[in-house]
Amino acid sequence: MAQIETELQLLKTEAVNMWTLVNSQLSKARQAFLTFDKDLAREVVLKEKRVNGSELKIDRDCENIFALFCPVAIDLRFLLAVLKINSNLERIGDIAEGIAKYIIDAEVPFSKELLDVTRVLPMYEEAVNMLEDTQAAFEKEDTVLARSVFKKDDFLDGINKASNKVLENHLKDHPEDTPQALWLLSIMRKLERVGDQSKNVAEEIIFYLEAKVLKHSKKFA
Amino acid sequence: MHASNVKYRLGKSYGFQILTYVLAFACVIPLLAILFFIIKAGITKINWHFLINVPKPVGESGGGIANALVGSILIIIVAAIIAIPIGILAGIYLSENRKSRLAYWCRLSTDILQGVPSIVIGIVAYFWLVKPLGKFSALSGSVALAIMMLPIVVRSTEETLKLLPDSLKEAALALGMPFHRVIFKVIVPVGISGILSGVMLSIARITGETAPLLFTAFGNPYLTTNVTQPMQSLPLLIFNYATSPYNDWHDLAWGASLILLLWVLFLNIFTKLITRKWKVQL
Amino acid sequence: MESTIIKSRNFNASFGTNHVVKNVNIDIPRNHVIAVMGPSGCGKTTYLRCINRMHELIPGATCDGEMKLNDENIYEMHPIFVRLKIGMVFQRPNPFPNLSIYDNVIAGYKLNGVKLPKAERDRIVEHSLTRVALWNEVKDSLNKKGSFLSGGQQQRLCIARAVAMEPEVLLFDEPTSALDPISTSTVEELFHELKVNYTLIIVTHNMQQAARVSDKTAFFYMGELVEYDETKTMFTNPKDNRTQNYITGRFS
Repeated sequence: MAQIETELQLLKTEAVNMWTLVNSQLSKARQAFLTFDKDLAREVVLKEKRVNGSELKIDRDCENIFALFCPVAIDLRFLLAVLKINSNLERIGDIAEGIAKYIIDAEVPFSKELLDVTRVLPMYEEAVNMLEDTQAAFEKEDTVLARSVFKKDDFLDGINKASNKVLENHLKDHPEDTPQALWLLSIMRKLERVGDQSKNVAEEIIFYLEAKVLKHSKKFA
Repeated sequence: MHASNVKYRLGKSYGFQILTYVLAFACVIPLLAILFFIIKAGITKINWHFLINVPKPVGESGGGIANALVGSILIIIVAAIIAIPIGILAGIYLSENRKSRLAYWCRLSTDILQGVPSIVIGIVAYFWLVKPLGKFSALSGSVALAIMMLPIVVRSTEETLKLLPDSLKEAALALGMPFHRVIFKVIVPVGISGILSGVMLSIARITGETAPLLFTAFGNPYLTTNVTQPMQSLPLLIFNYATSPYNDWHDLAWGASLILLLWVLFLNIFTKLITRKWKVQL
Repeated sequence: MESTIIKSRNFNASFGTNHVVKNVNIDIPRNHVIAVMGPSGCGKTTYLRCINRMHELIPGATCDGEMKLNDENIYEMHPIFVRLKIGMVFQRPNPFPNLSIYDNVIAGYKLNGVKLPKAERDRIVEHSLTRVALWNEVKDSLNKKGSFLSGGQQQRLCIARAVAMEPEVLLFDEPTSALDPISTSTVEELFHELKVNYTLIIVTHNMQQAARVSDKTAFFYMGELVEYDETKTMFTNPKDNRTQNYITGRFS
């Protein structure tokens, strides 16, 4: 195998490891959210350092491969995609840390009625699914799977858009829930950004595999 | 461009082409004429007796050229033994040292030597070897012929080895080979066909030389293999017998001419075959 | 075993009055691939040829300074011994045209008059050809002359010939510049495998090649060693401006 192939293989493994790490961060934060487990949330905050370290390493490795091997064609697209996916994943990691911090700072768990009416739980679940789908699409080089992520983002956008009206109505009847509602709104905004980041990742995967630029264009599912 | 102008120039070109063909053919004519003439004159004189008998005294028929045949072969062999080692080693030296003073003088001497008339070389050999030793000998004849062979062997060896790429020598040196091995185990084997063809050419050249042998080998009516004695050789025999007044001896001379001609012809063909077979494709 | 195999201190080389290698100080670590790059006429090939004492064969060529192999001064050893320990592969593949492939590989022994038993010779030939990934391609034509081999195969044959001598260091003088791209990449893949057993010093005018194959790179310019560093650093963040200009193609 040529040297460049070895290097690209190593880079792919590192990227997948970063994915797994960020996925576990997001999932742990969800678990902490569901069970109001502050210790689990603290774990997430501590592990954020590893996510950042991983991002730096992948950046450096990409730089080295560019400098030493002057890749072209699919190798070039792969590296460009990995660079961008790297920063997308790091931001998702930041969001997971942010959610975990809310859990730590919150005094009481969220009321069940609030959770149900905002549909934040299905939103969270779908966000995690999107991340897992992009990871599988990257590992298996599956563009169909990557494309399926776009529709899921629409779902998240829908819930996010409705959240304002839903919370307005709820707060008319339960004004005591206002602080919680504000927290929840922030979390939903964050989850919506997770969806956007995953969508960007899916666009990069399709760019790398098919050389099609789907950024800023209407996507047809 | 006028059409007539073009026609004229085309015609001129065609005429020139025809001229070159005619003149090339004209070069072949002398060779064909000589071959034809000598074969016609000599072929009837050659038979087995011709080859194994010595010339009979005047008046007796029969007789042959055995002594000249053996003599020529011996004289040439001794000349080759003298000239070839010296010539090849000198050629190797010249190809390795392009610019030294010795190389300059060596090249100059070789070039001049090539132009020295053969009879002068014969006379010099006479004064060097015949006079001091007090007698004519085949050896002195060989020395004279060796001197004539030398420039050809030296130059062709040098040119052959110069044509070999430097990379060959470098490859050998980089393997830790001492210089003498580089020359004898790598350079010479690769250039052997060129060196050999140079050697063959020099032999072909001296085969028919008469003048140097006039005062050195001198000639001998008897068959002898002693190189310290005077010896007969084919060109000498032809020279002496053709100008003699006896018809028998004329016949011998014609036969000997044919033999000599065939010998030189085969030597040249043989050289070409060897060169082609042993040529190393670089 | 000390980890520096070749050391140069204040090393200079000239052709007559033309001073082409100026005051070079360099430490070459064992079992590494070192690339030496620079523009034409910068002295890199001259420096390489000084390592195995081929430079002094040119009339009028001189050099001075310290050059050590494993702490022994190369210029105090007999040149034959130096060349037995430091092999060289040249720009144009130059297998001996009158020898068969088998004889070419074993040429360093055979032409030096070293007599080996047949079993030993066979072992050396198979081992060397395997090391250069040529064994499977030629094992059925060992007695043929090498003229039917492609350029890349001929160059690998020359590498096998050098490797058969079991040197410690292998010098390469622009080894792929006469080869097509596929042969070039076959030879480049060899470097990674060869460095396990030998130290490789490769002169190249192709800086992408230097980037691909080497662990450390030395940049020569106008006879001086301008920069010598890990290849990764050299190509991502060189310290000298001249190096940066050369790598980015600002001057040839």
